[in-house]
Amino acid sequence: MDRKIASSEILNPTSTGSRNASTDSLDSDSKSCSVNSKHDTGENSSSGQQSENASSPRPEDLPLLPGEKTQGVARDVTYLCPYTGPAPGVLTVTNYKLHFRSTDRETLYTLEVPLGVVSRIEKVGGVSSRGENSYGIEVFCKDMRNLRFAHKQENHSRRSVFEKLQLRAFPLSHNLPLFAFEYQETFPEDGWAVYEPVSELKRMGVPNDSWKISRVNENYEICDSYPQIWAVPACASDDDLRAVAAFRSRGRVPVLSWIHPTSQAALLRCAQPLVGVAGRRSREDERYIQLITEANAQSHKLFITDARPSANAIANKAKGGGYESEDAYPNAELVFLDIHNIHVMRESLRKLKELCFPTIEETRWLTGLESTLWLKHIRYILAGAIRIVDRLENHKTSVLVHCSDGWDRTAQLTGLAMIMLDPYYRTMRGFQVLVEKEWLSFGHKFAHRIGHGNEHHSDADRSPVFLQFVDCVWQLTQQFPTAFEFNETFLLNILDHLYTCRFGTFLFNTDRERYKEEVKKKSVSLWSFMNANLDEYRNPLFCRLLHARHVLLPVASMRHMKLWKGYYCRWNPSMRTQDPLIPRCKELLALRAQLQAQVEQYKRDVEAKNSNRPNIGSPQRLASPIHS
Amino acid sequence: MTHSFKSYIDIKENHFGAESLDTSGDESYIEQRQPRLLKGEAVTATEDNVLQFVSLSERKHGRSGTLYVTNFKLSFIPSVSTRTDNPECQHSSLLDEFDVSLCNIDCIYHITRDKKRKLVGGQNVSSKIKGLLVVCKNMRTLTFSFKFANVNSGRSIANALLHYAFPRRHHLLFAYDYREPYVRSNQNNTQMFQDQSDWLDELKKSNCIGWRITSSNTSYNLSANLPSFFVVPEGALDWQLETASRHFRGNRPPVWCWGTNEGAALVRMADMLPGINDRVQENVMLEQVRKAHPKKRQPHIMDLQKSLPTPRDLQISFCKLRDICSPESASRFWNQEPDFFGRMDSSRWLHYVSGCLSIAQQAAQILASGATVVLQEGEGRDASTIVSSLVQLLCNPSTRSIVGFQSLIQKEWVALGHPFCSRLGLIAESESPMFLLFLDCVWQILNQFPGKFEFTETYLTTLWDACHVGIFDTFIFNCERERACAATDTHNPLHLRSVWDWEEQYGPEDVALFRNPLYALKLEKPLSTKLSALPISCGLSSLEVWQQCYCRWVPMLEMTGGGRVQVNFQVRLLAEEIVELQRKVEICRKGGHPDRVAPFDFSEEFSFACDSALLRSRLQNNPSSFFPFMSHSACVGEILLNTSILGDEDESDDRDAGLNESTYSLSTAV
Repeated sequence: MDRKIASSEILNPTSTGSRNASTDSLDSDSKSCSVNSKHDTGENSSSGQQSENASSPRPEDLPLLPGEKTQGVARDVTYLCPYTGPAPGVLTVTNYKLHFRSTDRETLYTLEVPLGVVSRIEKVGGVSSRGENSYGIEVFCKDMRNLRFAHKQENHSRRSVFEKLQLRAFPLSHNLPLFAFEYQETFPEDGWAVYEPVSELKRMGVPNDSWKISRVNENYEICDSYPQIWAVPACASDDDLRAVAAFRSRGRVPVLSWIHPTSQAALLRCAQPLVGVAGRRSREDERYIQLITEANAQSHKLFITDARPSANAIANKAKGGGYESEDAYPNAELVFLDIHNIHVMRESLRKLKELCFPTIEETRWLTGLESTLWLKHIRYILAGAIRIVDRLENHKTSVLVHCSDGWDRTAQLTGLAMIMLDPYYRTMRGFQVLVEKEWLSFGHKFAHRIGHGNEHHSDADRSPVFLQFVDCVWQLTQQFPTAFEFNETFLLNILDHLYTCRFGTFLFNTDRERYKEEVKKKSVSLWSFMNANLDEYRNPLFCRLLHARHVLLPVASMRHMKLWKGYYCRWNPSMRTQDPLIPRCKELLALRAQLQAQVEQYKRDVEAKNSNRPNIGSPQRLASPIHS
Repeated sequence: MTHSFKSYIDIKENHFGAESLDTSGDESYIEQRQPRLLKGEAVTATEDNVLQFVSLSERKHGRSGTLYVTNFKLSFIPSVSTRTDNPECQHSSLLDEFDVSLCNIDCIYHITRDKKRKLVGGQNVSSKIKGLLVVCKNMRTLTFSFKFANVNSGRSIANALLHYAFPRRHHLLFAYDYREPYVRSNQNNTQMFQDQSDWLDELKKSNCIGWRITSSNTSYNLSANLPSFFVVPEGALDWQLETASRHFRGNRPPVWCWGTNEGAALVRMADMLPGINDRVQENVMLEQVRKAHPKKRQPHIMDLQKSLPTPRDLQISFCKLRDICSPESASRFWNQEPDFFGRMDSSRWLHYVSGCLSIAQQAAQILASGATVVLQEGEGRDASTIVSSLVQLLCNPSTRSIVGFQSLIQKEWVALGHPFCSRLGLIAESESPMFLLFLDCVWQILNQFPGKFEFTETYLTTLWDACHVGIFDTFIFNCERERACAATDTHNPLHLRSVWDWEEQYGPEDVALFRNPLYALKLEKPLSTKLSALPISCGLSSLEVWQQCYCRWVPMLEMTGGGRVQVNFQVRLLAEEIVELQRKVEICRKGGHPDRVAPFDFSEEFSFACDSALLRSRLQNNPSSFFPFMSHSACVGEILLNTSILGDEDESDDRDAGLNESTYSLSTAV
């Protein structure tokens, strides 16, 4: 019905400079999510300019990013669009993207897919394939879509396209650099400076009497997946920390993530204790936990949340892990949050993709959605975060969060809890800091979970952990539509660039790797790009003052869980993706700004008139821009 | 652009909210130990020391008070003078916060610790009653315990309810006893479709030249459930109509409802009577419908029976929906959590919503293509009413104003004889919430096109509640004939009062919330005469559960400081600011000074913007996501709401933490 899908921006701010200017305009459809494909149907005359370009496909016209180079062009390729049908055209592969431009006037559009999103490429059909469009390539993407291209056998174009794609989609498997290291664009702001650990701690009032900043991990010696700077109890010595690290999986010691500004109740994160089947104990760890408990004068208890289902936690004992026993930690209360592991989540997303792409079977939508279990997992993550917030806020108790290694579920939980507790993280800047801090610096293994530039698509390390976190944030924005400074596009953009490999931000597993690879020197931060365009990501409904002191307590009931169609179903042009209220509100805000300007202008005119009264009757007033 | 958004939520305005709200204060409340009685209302049973439990508190929290049964309502007056009169809530002049009208009561259960037994209306209970569960048609549930009351009190309340809440005859409804004078207000411009003029007006607006108004039914001889006047093909003579009508169910020949500029008509028609095999009369009528088209085009017949639910199906679906959206106990709520979507699916409710919307969309497209659409169904009083109304909402922007919407309901539902009395279950008959299904469809469209309607979802929810008040003639009759008979009865003539005079029920603050600020400020685009239907999405994946209407009785689902209502507040404030600025610009244009503009009275000129100071104080109080309905956090402590969502293991802890001084912990009660 409604063909005008989220009309989309090409992921290319420089070469489409004129379009950039329009991003803060009120075009209700300018929902720019970077890696959207562009559908311009022929009858849509309003997009005439683009059509002209598209009608004469010359590879040299291809919009290229600085540092992007064309690797190959194939003509006579047909893109088999699941919505608008086959479209013949020209396929170009660069070191960054796959670009398709239709040459058929009937189905005029371009398609741009950054190669970073490609998970797997397969040849379809062989020499004996007879059917129309049955011989070609299928591209499976990490962002909820698949693309199919048909080649003509006699052109022999398939092999070269396939090889080019393989090479550029999986550069690490072929000893090539990721695109982020070839990308040359510069931005006014350096996004690498967004997060500075010491000043973020200072914002929370650390160091103080109970908490200090420790540089014991400056050389990543105690824990190679933790950042250099930790906030720990003031009484803990370096030796204490070393001893505790020995008793925690991968040396991931309990450290401070956030501290309540008034009650001083703290949110901490770590990995599981190395209890094992023998039920090992560590006096240093027990003492350290006691120090954490004592650092909060408001409560003599510590709430430990183990994100795993209890069965998994028990099973982990066999592998040397486990959880805090009541005997060893008498002042701690341990609760399991029943969140499943990365493999369960990966499988759930696979089912969700099956349900959502390419089209939805409406009559089986509800049962289908339920059988993916995706929203159930989202609900458990949110519910876990709510319990943490409840303890911290309503009971003034410090909370320690861990799972097995403390880099997947733990990051989800602490990140969400912090967003609910602290309005700062609901701003654009604050959210960037949160991602830098809780996800990047504390070693969520982005490289492994996403599998950047690597052809092993079935790698068991891959999992949509960060996607789930962003989905949870989106659920929060649905329940509290005025509490966030950013809009859906902001979240979509982050998710898109999670895969593109255009920016250095999400490329590596740990701080240490980023340091070693000199990411900050050799690549651009995603935040540099996004902060150059903040107006595009603003939520017109944001009410900052109201939420300044407001802790969000969402409701994690299935009855409130929604599927984020703006992400999971966005390739389907019949899916209405944008909240229809947003464009209306933008209109109203623009109208208000216009009226305010008019009133101001009048005031100035009146003052000017009063100051030079003799000039009364001058044509000054007529010249003022009062026409609406 | 947005950062100035915050600026107008100023802290200064506190003085307003505090004073104005407190004047209605506590003292008056303490004195008011009696229920407010309307004229003609009489108390039939009273019991003290009754406990009313907080909903879904597993009978652990409640209030003590006096329970009254009158011939109009079930009323609970708490004995502790808490601030029960919540200023945030919608306030009806007919029913207080803890009141439920008898018409709203769907069924009553006798509950003991672990069992419940349905009590049958009209029968007397002789055994001792320990506790009562009252399930309402608007999904509210009330639980009472008589543990601390007199031995026989439970029985006396139960018997009073069984007697008065389930009348067997129409004239036993409270509407006949209600003596409050009623004058139709001048502000209400709703077209009532009670005489020829409104039909004539409707015909004039379209280009349906081939249609005429017949007065062949003025004494209801042709059809008992059609109005005195209705619109038929010009070529169909009255005697032909009479002959034909005898072959249709409900004696209803094809009736014109609406027409487009191009002369395409929207027609409702009943099925042929069972047992009549030859379709001659149907064909005669359809031929007349064809001839009535300016281009004599063949009408498009849509058989609704196949794709839409029967009243019975719908009632079954509704009961399932009620069980999911407003479960009667917290344990049930938690049990439903894991497979909520599956349960929604098997309730079929959203499937029916989807079905109505997609058929309406098809019909709208056919009309837009210039062809006449005939909706055929049973007696032509249920599903076709829904579809016909929806088609007009999609195609005709004037039905999206409040007056237009009310006129639409008068025309399609009231005048053309939707059997409200049966469908709302006023007299134990074939209850089926067809009207709710329609309101749900409207809500879905509103949800997809928030700027296209003059009314808000609060208006729709209030309208559904108003169906169960039982004093408005709009919703208590099956057809115009019954209404006319009741009004002219020499014995005890019924005072007709229309629901559309909202000021009768609600104060200006509440009525202001019916108006959608996004609609008031629409930036008009030139209207094209070409018919264009709203491009709605009808698939299940595009539909949502109407939380405000269905889930408002469930405390666990309330978000404090969240929900759509926040958006509504923001937009209202913004809209109000724009109106103020526009006025300033206007005054400046006339040579005035922008700072010397007198403050202005919103209630008069721009009724969508209610009092900004009150609005802001409401906003600062972190209104419930179900605002302006039930605010649970105002009644019970806060913790009950959100934190125990993981369910079973720590439920009881959190519940206990949720106590505050206005509640009792009664783990042993019942």
